Amino acid sequence: MMSGRKLWWSVLVVVTVFYAIPMVAMTRFAFQRVPVIKLSWSNVFDKWTVAPIGETFADPNFRSSALLSIGLSVATAVLTVLLLVPTMALAHLRSPRVRRWIEVSAVLPFVVPAIALVVGFAGAFRGTAPLFIRNPYGMVPLLVITALPFTHRTIENGLSSIDLRTLVDASRSLGAGWNRTIWTVVAPNIRGSIATATFLAITVVLGEFTIASLLLKNTLPLYLAYAQGQNPQGAFAVGLVLTAISASLIGITNGIGRRSRR
Amino acid sequence: MAGLSKRQARPLVFLPYFAFLAVFLVWPALYVFRSAFERSGAPRSPMIEAVTGQYRGRFVYSLQLSFASAAIGVLVGSLVAIAVVQLDSIRGVRSALVGYSSVAANMGGIPLAFAFLAAFGMQGLATRLLREINVDLVGWGFKITDFWGIVLVYLYFQIPLMTLILVPALDGLRRTWHEAAQSLGASAPQYWRLVAFPILLPALLGGFLLLVSNSFAAYATAFALSSGSSRLVPVQIRFFLQGETITGKTNLGYAMAAWMVLITALLVVGFQALVRRSERWRR
Repeated sequence: MMSGRKLWWSVLVVVTVFYAIPMVAMTRFAFQRVPVIKLSWSNVFDKWTVAPIGETFADPNFRSSALLSIGLSVATAVLTVLLLVPTMALAHLRSPRVRRWIEVSAVLPFVVPAIALVVGFAGAFRGTAPLFIRNPYGMVPLLVITALPFTHRTIENGLSSIDLRTLVDASRSLGAGWNRTIWTVVAPNIRGSIATATFLAITVVLGEFTIASLLLKNTLPLYLAYAQGQNPQGAFAVGLVLTAISASLIGITNGIGRRSRR
Repeated sequence: MAGLSKRQARPLVFLPYFAFLAVFLVWPALYVFRSAFERSGAPRSPMIEAVTGQYRGRFVYSLQLSFASAAIGVLVGSLVAIAVVQLDSIRGVRSALVGYSSVAANMGGIPLAFAFLAAFGMQGLATRLLREINVDLVGWGFKITDFWGIVLVYLYFQIPLMTLILVPALDGLRRTWHEAAQSLGASAPQYWRLVAFPILLPALLGGFLLLVSNSFAAYATAFALSSGSSRLVPVQIRFFLQGETITGKTNLGYAMAAWMVLITALLVVGFQALVRRSERWRR
């Protein structure tokens, strides 16, 4: 019995080391100015600096791509909420069949890999609505779709966890219209789910490379790929910051999930 | 009157959502397939051309990579899941491992490629540390940009994804089933082989399919590792269709994209069917 436990412990130790090493290595590369060749136990703590972050922030290319990524995150999150919350709330109330269709349609983005989606999008829109290709914000609908399987699930969980019909009936009988009911009664009651969907959408946008790369839009991941050759330390530092942001967003999301299940 | 118009308006309220999907998901997908079948003077349909001759190797390579990383991911991820459930009595083990898995399963793209370059590149920290204990990765010919290197990188999100799939399935194994098997005289290995494994099988197979499609669609990490020279299908599609460049092979690019959709669709449908089957036991 004891040897069984030891076996499982060793599995966890090995996988933890595997998870930790790339992150430790990236951190060291980004913030320590000692090449690996010269690294030894005597200088492990020498020459650590956060200067690479500052150098990157001074780069105007970085600032423009950071602004673009932030703008895309906000736009994607807002469009996701505007599109999903009213539609799904109404489907919950009125039509189990439509609810089922929405559920199936929300898995479709898994079927169309990002690379196929973006080349089809570019081909279809280039001749008909080239603005969507030219303007960086034209890719927002594709980002909404990429995030859809995750955002749909969280909104669905939120709507299933409240007594939607009673809330809506109460609000309607007091004279509130549909819009007012959705945004001032339903939405605040599923705010945890909306926050989660927002964070997931932001995580998707901050990590998305394929779509931006094929449409030649300079988002943060594209800047990273470019800066890898110019200023590797700075690029790795920003990569690490992005990873930390995504990780904390997912961490917060898990926290919200646990709290609302209680 | 107002009531009447409201009733008529009902289907319309669902219109924006479905119209959005039609325009930004279905139309692009249809465009890919339409172009994939356009022969435009070539002797063979691009759909045939894309999977025969010189481009066949791309699909073989991409699929081999996906199957290898999925197989190892299922194996290791399942071991981690079992370990998490077995050591559940120790506080913090589950929340730490499952929490980190949900973070790592979402990792990928450029930052992950950076992390593995810093660790297992020629001048990587792990490469250096392993050399200290006489494990010479470079001497063995291991390169982070090669097949097994990319598999290693993909395992960073494949293993935790499998853990996340299997932990709930393991939780679904009821203690009473174990006790029933024991009271009927089954040994621990017999219980795992004859009771637990068959119940877990749909989750394991479904997880495998999900991991295959997960790495099959991945693009950014391999692109950053190899600075764009990878042999993966998506990189080839990009070469044919990037921006406005005319390569004369655009339909071939669409055909490769169409094949990717078909393969992914098959994997996703299989996964959904297996998930439904594995949930049968959790009522």
